[in-house]
Amino acid sequence: MNPLLELKNLTVHYGPKCVVNDVNLALAPGQTLGLAGESGSGKSTVAMSVLRLLPKSASVTGEILLDGDDVATMSWGRLRAVRWAAASIVFQGAMHSLNPVQRVGDQIAEPMRLHGVEGNALDLVEQVELPRDKARAYPHELSGGQRQRVMIAMALACGPRLVVADEPTTALDVVVQAQVLALMTRLVREQDLGLLMISHDLSVLAETCDDLAVMHRGALVERGRTREVIANPRHPHTAALTAAFPVIGDPAHRWAEPAPEPEPLLQVRDLVVDYGRTRAVDGVDLTIGRGEIVALVGQSGSGKTTLARTIMGLRKPSSGRVIFDGAEVARNGKALKAFRRQVQLVLQDPSSALNPRHRIVDAVAEGLRVHGIPGDEESLVTAAVERAELRPASLYLQALPHELSGGQQQRVVIAGALVLEPRLLVADEPVASLDASVRGEIVALLLRLRRELGLASLIITHDLGLAWQIADRVAVMHQGKIVEQGSAEEVLLTPSHDYTRALLRAVPQV
Amino acid sequence: MRLAGRFGGAALSLVMVAVLGFFLFRVVPGDPVVSMTRGRPTTAAMQAELRAQFGLDRPLPEQFWNYFTSLLQGDLGTSFTFRRPVADVILERLGPTLLLVGTATLIAVGLGLWLGVRAAWRRDSGFDRVTTGVSLTLWAVPTFWLGMLLMMVTGDLFPSRGMRDTDTAPDFVSQALDVGHHLVLPSVTLVAVVCAEYMLVMRSSLLEEMHAPYLTTARAKGLRDDVVRRRHAVPNAVLPAITLVFLRFGLVVAGAITTETVFSWPGLGLLFYDALTGPDYLLLQGLLVVTAGAVVVMNLLADLLHGVLDPRVKVV
Repeated sequence: MNPLLELKNLTVHYGPKCVVNDVNLALAPGQTLGLAGESGSGKSTVAMSVLRLLPKSASVTGEILLDGDDVATMSWGRLRAVRWAAASIVFQGAMHSLNPVQRVGDQIAEPMRLHGVEGNALDLVEQVELPRDKARAYPHELSGGQRQRVMIAMALACGPRLVVADEPTTALDVVVQAQVLALMTRLVREQDLGLLMISHDLSVLAETCDDLAVMHRGALVERGRTREVIANPRHPHTAALTAAFPVIGDPAHRWAEPAPEPEPLLQVRDLVVDYGRTRAVDGVDLTIGRGEIVALVGQSGSGKTTLARTIMGLRKPSSGRVIFDGAEVARNGKALKAFRRQVQLVLQDPSSALNPRHRIVDAVAEGLRVHGIPGDEESLVTAAVERAELRPASLYLQALPHELSGGQQQRVVIAGALVLEPRLLVADEPVASLDASVRGEIVALLLRLRRELGLASLIITHDLGLAWQIADRVAVMHQGKIVEQGSAEEVLLTPSHDYTRALLRAVPQV
Repeated sequence: MRLAGRFGGAALSLVMVAVLGFFLFRVVPGDPVVSMTRGRPTTAAMQAELRAQFGLDRPLPEQFWNYFTSLLQGDLGTSFTFRRPVADVILERLGPTLLLVGTATLIAVGLGLWLGVRAAWRRDSGFDRVTTGVSLTLWAVPTFWLGMLLMMVTGDLFPSRGMRDTDTAPDFVSQALDVGHHLVLPSVTLVAVVCAEYMLVMRSSLLEEMHAPYLTTARAKGLRDDVVRRRHAVPNAVLPAITLVFLRFGLVVAGAITTETVFSWPGLGLLFYDALTGPDYLLLQGLLVVTAGAVVVMNLLADLLHGVLDPRVKVV
């Protein structure tokens, strides 16, 4: 049988830089193939080359055979006819991949009209398990999961035999991700589609794909049956990727050392926060001990970010108390400022948390300047940067954020927090936007800071694996309430609440 | 609720404009009556009479109350130079200005947006470089110089003064043709000056959208390049330009001063010029209220239209 898609010696250069180097791949009809790799490995470039969607600055050599036809050399007219009809793409982060000022139903119907395919956009909407009236919605009126379903409906509009999915679930939380993956798996099986799925997350690929290929620095380093590749990785990079995703319950992936019951540092008592008529945080009690790492887990919309903002004094609670180090946190004035110095925030995406025009030294020193802290600024900044393991600091101080990698940027954000000598770090998804190999280093850094400085952390995450890796205690938040809290072992291994069990079930298994 | 908020905000701005108009001409240094009659022999009695006529002998709160209540009735006072109600004078000149500015804006918007889209889509092409360069040059040159240059270059082809000839037949068609003939030079001048702004805003706005992922989605669907541009890129990129178009239209009502003066076009701009040379304070005050009001109203219209074009903005 002819392969559906065959890449022969595919090589892509941007100027002198080689991003895809001599890749050979074949995909039979009905076959599902996962393509794994970190950012910059060239996996998305491969995906885009299938429909010749690379920018003009890319020079492509080799053959890209779609049903035996070479996409790289076909005429523009033929290419337009092949696009979406023979193969379609489910793009990542459906927010920006959908036209914001067009109704999603029209966007689904557009390729059908273009390619003269019979059918009804409403049926497609129903097929991806959305109510039919959602077709009249604009993208911003839908949730992330719903938008991803729209992207899938759109990809199936012209009945292609091959679907390329580029990080289809990356921006979604664990429960929604599980639903979208289940939907894709069902549709691929029912319609006997070929699927090329690209992801940095091996566990996602393990859920959906029979075969797995791993890319590293533009080259294909491993290819085989998914189970075998994950169980017996032959290439060290594959091994690094599999090791980076913690398995809940595996003692080797539990990095937090057991600690004695500490004295409380921060106590939240019966906290309520309302947004207008919506109750975002509903009577929460939470305690963080000195030097303790607590993970606050829950889906997006569960109220965990609002809770964190209120703890930091960025939002006024409707009722309830926040007690820090034995004293109630002031709502305004100097006392609030002094409190904020002791509680520092680390955000998810370091590239947007850092001002692109500020040098690292200024980014880190900003807190010192805001709080008017005396002392030699340069030596304080240098110490903080080195404590965040950017050594020697002199190499980094004068750099601009874009000159650093994602992991280095996150270290700069952490250094900016450390320079104020805080006692509590509030980290909102601190590793979610980082590559697998870097993620482990940041987790280790947070643990080392706790050991050496006694720094407590509140880690907000939807990633239960991260909670298993790092947390002493885990609190599960659902619809504004903490439904369960206890030691990481108790909550993650013997959950007592249904919602915790549902969350654990949704975690993709390698 | 938000709709009411928008209207409320606009109403508040209009009141501020009215208050500002009142005080602006009361805080100018010197006695308005003295500067009005400068260069003419006047007696103290005549000045006192003028003062009484303009109500300047009353206490300030009373002056303000009189000004505000008459403003609400559409009474802007009496022009010193024209010896007629200011409202009538302004209303008479509004038509020619709307004709000139309206025509020029329509052409400039159409041309500017079209050029901007073309230039951005083929960035750094010859077309892009030439249009951007020419637009910037036209924007940078002084308007009066450009107007005079056009007069010299076109010679006797188009009339260069006024809005109509006195000897044209009174029927509608001949009158319209005559006005159209007179309209050519001033509107070309105005288009050349304001077109650049629309072109540059549209160009940079589209350049920002050029790398939006939804355009990749559209291309992947198999759409032709020009359909991707027309159906997906432009509807998103045009949104920032809309606000500018309306804001500029509000400003241009007053901002055609130079063009109207150079071509003696009998509109508000020329009236501004005359009122300033007077100086005719009540006329200036009336013009300020009317033109600033136009900006406020246009801004409100831009807000409302933005809400219609962009589903993410909830106006109602």
